[in-house]
Amino acid sequence: MEKSKKIGTISAIMLTLSIAVSYITSSLPRTFINETKSATILNIVYITFIVLFIILLFCNLFKKFPGLDILDISKYLGGNILKDIVGGFFIIYFTVSSSIMLRNFCDSLVVVYYPLTSYVFVILMFIFSIALVNRLSFNATLNVSSIVFPLVLISAILLFFGNIDNFSFRRIYPILGDGFYNTFILGLKNIGAFGGICYLYFLPPMLKQPEKFKKIAVISVIATGLFILLCVGTLLFMFSFFLTTDEIMPLFSAARYIEFGTFFQRFESVFLLIWIISFCCFLSITCKFSTHIFNKMFNLSDIKPLSIIFIILIFGLSLIPQNYAIANFLETNVYRYLRIAVGFVLGITILIFANFKKRKVGGKN
Amino acid sequence: MNITDLFKNIFTYTPPTNYTFALPDIAMDNKTDIKDNTQTEKKEEKNISPNIDTNLNYVKTRYNLLINSDIITREFTLNAKGQQYKAFLLYIDGMVDSQILNDFVLKSLMIHNNSNLSNNNKNRIISEAVDNNNVTIRKVKKFNLSDFIESCLVPQNNIKQSNSFNEIISGVNSGNCALFVDTLNIAYDIDVKGFKQRGIDKPENEIVIKGPHEAFVENIRTNTSLLRRFTNNENLVIESLDAGKITKTKCAVCYMQNIANSDLVAEVKYRINNLDIDSLLSSGQLEQLISDNNSLGLPKTISTERPDNATQHLLEGRVIVLVNGSPFALIFPSIMIDFLTSPEDRNLKTIFSNFLRVIRIISAFFALLLPGLYVSVTSFHIEILPTELLYSILAARESVPFPVIFEILIMEISFEIIREASLRVPSAIGSTIGIVGALVIGQAAVSAGIVSPILIIIVAITALSSFAIPDYSFSFHLRLFRFLFILLGYIAGFLGIGTGLFVYLSIICDMESFGVSYSIPYSSMENLKSTGVILPPIWKREYRASYLAAKRDKKQEKISMKWKLGN
Repeated sequence: MEKSKKIGTISAIMLTLSIAVSYITSSLPRTFINETKSATILNIVYITFIVLFIILLFCNLFKKFPGLDILDISKYLGGNILKDIVGGFFIIYFTVSSSIMLRNFCDSLVVVYYPLTSYVFVILMFIFSIALVNRLSFNATLNVSSIVFPLVLISAILLFFGNIDNFSFRRIYPILGDGFYNTFILGLKNIGAFGGICYLYFLPPMLKQPEKFKKIAVISVIATGLFILLCVGTLLFMFSFFLTTDEIMPLFSAARYIEFGTFFQRFESVFLLIWIISFCCFLSITCKFSTHIFNKMFNLSDIKPLSIIFIILIFGLSLIPQNYAIANFLETNVYRYLRIAVGFVLGITILIFANFKKRKVGGKN
Repeated sequence: MNITDLFKNIFTYTPPTNYTFALPDIAMDNKTDIKDNTQTEKKEEKNISPNIDTNLNYVKTRYNLLINSDIITREFTLNAKGQQYKAFLLYIDGMVDSQILNDFVLKSLMIHNNSNLSNNNKNRIISEAVDNNNVTIRKVKKFNLSDFIESCLVPQNNIKQSNSFNEIISGVNSGNCALFVDTLNIAYDIDVKGFKQRGIDKPENEIVIKGPHEAFVENIRTNTSLLRRFTNNENLVIESLDAGKITKTKCAVCYMQNIANSDLVAEVKYRINNLDIDSLLSSGQLEQLISDNNSLGLPKTISTERPDNATQHLLEGRVIVLVNGSPFALIFPSIMIDFLTSPEDRNLKTIFSNFLRVIRIISAFFALLLPGLYVSVTSFHIEILPTELLYSILAARESVPFPVIFEILIMEISFEIIREASLRVPSAIGSTIGIVGALVIGQAAVSAGIVSPILIIIVAITALSSFAIPDYSFSFHLRLFRFLFILLGYIAGFLGIGTGLFVYLSIICDMESFGVSYSIPYSSMENLKSTGVILPPIWKREYRASYLAAKRDKKQEKISMKWKLGN
């Protein structure tokens, strides 16, 4: 990658945050509140600290491989075979995640705004847009993320402060929700909310300043944690968690209650406009990462045509769930564990073994 | 582009093009701050040598004579008192009056008249007296070549001698000519200024209240002289290149040698030199020929008719290209915010300029999206409007027989026709057509129930917003792409607008102008200085735009208003 086409520190942070945003605007807050009830805030803080600890470990493991990504490290550890296996897992993860999220988001849009329209049409709108954008450079999508994320942040802050009159802070009681075990042991599943970390595995060779990798990773985790806290906090303080679990796009529901005076009565569609652009960024980023991994596995000279294949694959996979309930089930119960398995278990295991090998080889030398 | 081409572009394989050009993040070469440069300039202070070849070589180096097309050195032999001396004149073409230079400088120095040829009386007797001892005392003034040339050979009212190169070059930069003579350790600064002043027209498109009222003209040499006058510095290099196999149109590539990034200069010259065309008749053609690919039709080059504006960009580290026969200067590279900036911004107080910039950004947003948003809201997102307003919109639309898309397209296309018609007719009736078109047709359309009154408001605000954009090409782009967003808004409401906006923003973020990201500073927020979105106060504009990777990143001291410090 040319130096000028490499990713800057802020762009890299925006990238991971953009991934988190797409989770949060779909069903993540609902999952959080559904599982940890009134202890959600506590759980988010706890999860953020856990992820922060993991990320510090992760940065230390990467330290011995400066400028290399997880594929290079896999190749070092187990040759091209391991590299292809790891690459394959990540491609599956990125493709499946984007297709499930796309289906879920489009189903929600259909329910909210386009009841007479087929969800296929809504999905196609996204597919066409990313088909056009994926012919452009990777930096184009990153730059759009850098423009859109501040707007998303503003929308989340507006959501919080716009609804503050409707808040009931007593909803955080009982502070431990369903108990210690549910909050801190079962609640560990919520670690998947920090799915943006999976993208960090591929960042080191793309960075303008690879020495700032640790800074990027730590800031991304803290910012994601704060963002989740802001959004989930809004929902928790606003709704009874029994109601929230039934809502489609819970943040959208919260936006409905904001009053902006007499001229704009209900502003939620403007929020939705921002989230749609942000979701397009997410789709484009995942598609570009899949293409990048495939290119690295098979060393292609030109990857542009390949992106169309991945887009068609995402489109096809998003049509598989028969209805919203199945899509939602896949997102809540399958995709989350896939995220943990690939993002945390697979990646860190490879890094640990690679570090062992490095130490061993270094010791012999 | 037809539909087949569009689908081919999207779905078929085209081999990647390998040509890329990017400016480095920071200028790698000669990166110094202003303090160091000041010190360097002090060291460079040099006196004139008695050896003419040394002087000539120094001047050639200092003015980059190998590449600078408008700096002239005229070597000749000077006759004085029967002796011949090697000499040369140094001047800038376009800034001196050739008639004065020929008749009153060159002619008098080169002509073989009696005064020049006679070798007698080398030592002149001023006075003679006889004292008491009958001894004759003569007061003799020794022959002095420098005085002789000044007092006898050059019939000019304003001539100065100096032994400092800096003084002489400063005079040359302001339109004088310098005379260097062998054996003399001084040079003459002779006033032969002859550039056009105020004969030059006022700018027609970029009108400012507080700035200078001069505009470029068709003659390239006049334009280069305007730039020379404004910069008044020998580091301004004006290179001449030819474009067009038949027309061989002269193009002047202008840049500040000590500021502009060398890669950028080389890239501009490379692109002009590699044009295989028969003719080049205007700067507009050159702009299209050397700009990077652009699928949205966005302008990538500022085209200015104001020399002060061009000079401002030169001093920022950009490259200016002038085309003979065209009264516009092209500025490379240009980014999106440049097209929302008016030359007046620099002359106004910071708070007012920033207010105007925000207004222009809002105008650009309205010019592009307002009709599309209106269509979306009325078709899909009516809950955004308060009930009373919604009722009034519905009541107004009650008598309209067309769907909202048809209604808005009628008005937008009518408006574009009115605008185009008022441009094409003689200027005297142009404004009349505008008024008649806007008032009469709008009123009649509402009365006839073809469009609703609220739509007239939307179209009017959109039109006014597009007029608020300082750059005509940028405004044109917004006018055209507005139709796309109307269509997307009608198809899928905010979903259509959102996906369309994502594609639109991505294409803008992907665009580059001579290696500089077009969307700076809205994206790539890394170590950016002096981005141009919000102007800092004038005393705080210390840095040049970092994305230009200029050789000198600082343009003024941290504390520029030193008078405030007192003693």
